[in-house]
Amino acid sequence: MLRASGVSFAYGRARKGRASDPPAAAAAHLRSAVVLDDVCLNVDRGELVGILGPNGSGKTTLLKLLGGMHRPTAGSVTLDDRPLAEWSHREIARRIAFVPQETIAPFDFSVLDIVLMGRFPHLGAFALEGPEDLAIARRALQATGTAPFEGRAFSTLSGGEKQRVVIASALAQDPQLLLLDEPTASLDIGHQIEVQKLLQQLNADQGVTMLLSTHDLNLAAALCRRLVLLKDGRVLASGPTEQVLTPPAIRALYGVDADIARHPATGHLTVVPIGRA
Amino acid sequence: MRPIRSRLAISLTVFGGLLLAALIVAPVVGSTSISLLRVFDRSVPFADNLDAQIFFIARLPRVVAAALVGAALAAAGVVFQALLRNPLATPDTLGVSSGAALGAMLAITFHLDFRIAGLPAIPLASFAGSLFALAVVYALATGRRRGLSTTVLLLAGVTMTGFLSALTMFTQYLANFTDTFRTVRWLMGMLDVGSYEPIVVVLPMLVVAFAMFATLPRALDLISLGADAAAARGVNVPRAERMALLSASLATGAAVSISGPIAFVGLVVPHLVRLFVGSDHRLVLPAAALFGAVFLIACDLVARAAFAPIELPVGIITAVIGGPFFLWLLVRSSR
Amino acid sequence: MSRKMRLLTAAWLSAVGVVLLAPAGRAAPTQQGPTQQGPAQRGPAQRIVSMIPAVTEMLFAIGDGPRVVGVTSYDQYPAEVARLVRVGGLLDPDVERILSLRPDLVVVYNTQVELKQRLDRAGIEYFSYEHRALPDITTTVRAIGARIGSAERANAAAAGMESAIAAIRKAVAGSPRPRTLLVFERDRSSLRNIYASGGYGFLHDMLEAAGGVNVFADVKRQAVDVSTEMLLARKPDVVIELWYGDLGKNLDLARQTQAWNALGAVPAVRNHRIYELSGDEFVVPGPRVVAATRRLAEALHPGILK
Repeated sequence: MLRASGVSFAYGRARKGRASDPPAAAAAHLRSAVVLDDVCLNVDRGELVGILGPNGSGKTTLLKLLGGMHRPTAGSVTLDDRPLAEWSHREIARRIAFVPQETIAPFDFSVLDIVLMGRFPHLGAFALEGPEDLAIARRALQATGTAPFEGRAFSTLSGGEKQRVVIASALAQDPQLLLLDEPTASLDIGHQIEVQKLLQQLNADQGVTMLLSTHDLNLAAALCRRLVLLKDGRVLASGPTEQVLTPPAIRALYGVDADIARHPATGHLTVVPIGRA
Repeated sequence: MRPIRSRLAISLTVFGGLLLAALIVAPVVGSTSISLLRVFDRSVPFADNLDAQIFFIARLPRVVAAALVGAALAAAGVVFQALLRNPLATPDTLGVSSGAALGAMLAITFHLDFRIAGLPAIPLASFAGSLFALAVVYALATGRRRGLSTTVLLLAGVTMTGFLSALTMFTQYLANFTDTFRTVRWLMGMLDVGSYEPIVVVLPMLVVAFAMFATLPRALDLISLGADAAAARGVNVPRAERMALLSASLATGAAVSISGPIAFVGLVVPHLVRLFVGSDHRLVLPAAALFGAVFLIACDLVARAAFAPIELPVGIITAVIGGPFFLWLLVRSSR
Repeated sequence: MSRKMRLLTAAWLSAVGVVLLAPAGRAAPTQQGPTQQGPAQRGPAQRIVSMIPAVTEMLFAIGDGPRVVGVTSYDQYPAEVARLVRVGGLLDPDVERILSLRPDLVVVYNTQVELKQRLDRAGIEYFSYEHRALPDITTTVRAIGARIGSAERANAAAAGMESAIAAIRKAVAGSPRPRTLLVFERDRSSLRNIYASGGYGFLHDMLEAAGGVNVFADVKRQAVDVSTEMLLARKPDVVIELWYGDLGKNLDLARQTQAWNALGAVPAVRNHRIYELSGDEFVVPGPRVVAATRRLAEALHPGILK
């Protein structure tokens, strides 16, 4: 459903990817600020795909390009075979939701407030949420196990709770595709498991297609059926988790020697870093 | 929690009621006591009816000016805070009021006398000044991808204010010496407009600003969570930000051109309102506009009636309330 | 703001001579009489620098104009000052230029503390002055005369002023005294930013001497910031507006009267008793207060003075 072909992106003058910028000139001018270089990727309905890569490999930028928040400097992203640039902001948001790494609310929004904001793309310019929207928000709260604190202030929640609330807000968008940027990066192990379970459930039970970025190898191994390895803005490898997650790939990705084995209890691959290569 | 529809209805009723009460009470109260019966007594010709003249010529325009200026500054404050994702961002702390004041001061000092689309020079210059100051602060705040901390933002604001005030003083220095006192008095803020003309003249600017405000609230909710979060929810972020910048500058410029810069309205009012209606901008923005009007009407009432027969500049009253309030917020937010 | 406010107020004052916003208490004499002595007394001063336009005029009135060697940038009167050296103003006294004139007496405003300290250090005497009420003007004339060894001529000049004022008082004594609003500052062509004389200071005294009752007599300040409401509530029978400086010379005074048509309920407007007077004598509290008082009296009581 979502396909990136030959996508490049560079920060700088062409950061906003204005249509008026001649791509060649911009690319020449900003070669040093290139974040993504000729990336191809596609996500099909029902998939759970992981983008794996070290810090600064361009994971977040790739997600933002795929979610229509940035425009690529070169190449194109298509949603259901129609270029993303032709979709309106609201149209995209009705199909693709994005969960950032961390959400800070400078004002005292309640949890329900935050989740209801997910209804934005479904409402007209001056429309207010009706009972239907409230029901959808409540379902999202239920699905993420955050219903008990819908009345609490968002800023008083723990990191894991916040992350689940933001996922609930994304679910309230009623999306076909969920993009998650390092959903567990700032969480402790307990909360990591919580979020991981939640994502698995949403994918299995509700059929939400997911694309998540992470540098947590074991999360990727446990959660994703397909992986894309990204380094320095280029795709190193992509394919089924079992085939892609190999010691040479990890060495190429992180410069680390690692032992990879199947965990007897869970049946997932587990990665144990051993030392710098 | 009640659905948004009924919360909006309640808050509009309550704050609208407060404004109505203020609009009714304020023109009746003042340093001179007047009788409403005589004000509306048709048997006395208007030219001989002192009570009616005090009511319609001295107080009513003044109350209306206070209401418009208060509403504009408070609403602009709300927009700035959401746009810069910082509860301490206000026209005053960002230097936007200083920019507006500089613009107006240039127009006053150099007796600029032109009209563009029917708008006179002073409000236009005032708008240009506020837009310039805001653009600079906004560029600083968003220049880096991660945005600025409160500290840096406030320092940038202080710097802008200092810089623009220096330019204002330079303007005064160049000015005719006898104009100096007049312009200084103007900088202290005053609402005694004396007729409806200064109000009518900027009404188109305010109407446009408020029409733009009306399209913003939900986008502001989302932008306050971050530009990416907002874009991901379907907000056309660059467009919404442009609308917010333009409308808030328009409102500040129009307000400043009526009354001179009146500090702290854009800070105090949004925070007080949030205590009652929460943070949803669909509630905060209209409530702040209504309550901003009430607040400034009340401050002006104190300014003109409390120390009669002496009148204080209304900017002193708002600053005396706003200064400590701001420090309290600063302490609270840094905990 | 308040500091800037005060500074600029002071600056403005140096130009036109009216103390704004100073409550009566602060402006009241701190010592006996309106003057203070400088460091040491040598002989009568021969080279005088005057930082006060009002005192410049007094010196010329006494007949000691030739001894004045330096005046402020704002001095306009008498015509002789045109060829004198300018040494800055209240806020920006040019100390270097003052010293280069080798004065033996400098007339300073009481708040020019820094200038006084520098003069002390240079061993130059000064005469410290402050604007106050009408009687203080002749007191100052006598004091400056005594200081420069012209006591006799100064006393005569002061007595002349006093008797002239007394004559005006006497002439208007029998007439009804209209309630008068004396405006000395407002926006051109609108009724915003009006400042009027309160119940203290030489403007107030001049108005009373000219046979008017100040509508703000109860507000014991030199200046009152007048709102539209006060204009209506105080019901002045007469409005006198003073214009001075460049404004006084270039303004279309008839047009200024029209601005008042917005307030038809004010008795002065209905009775067409709004007077626009222009001239620097209204705001320089020197010998010309006699002429100024006379013009006020003529406005208030037309034809009563011959």
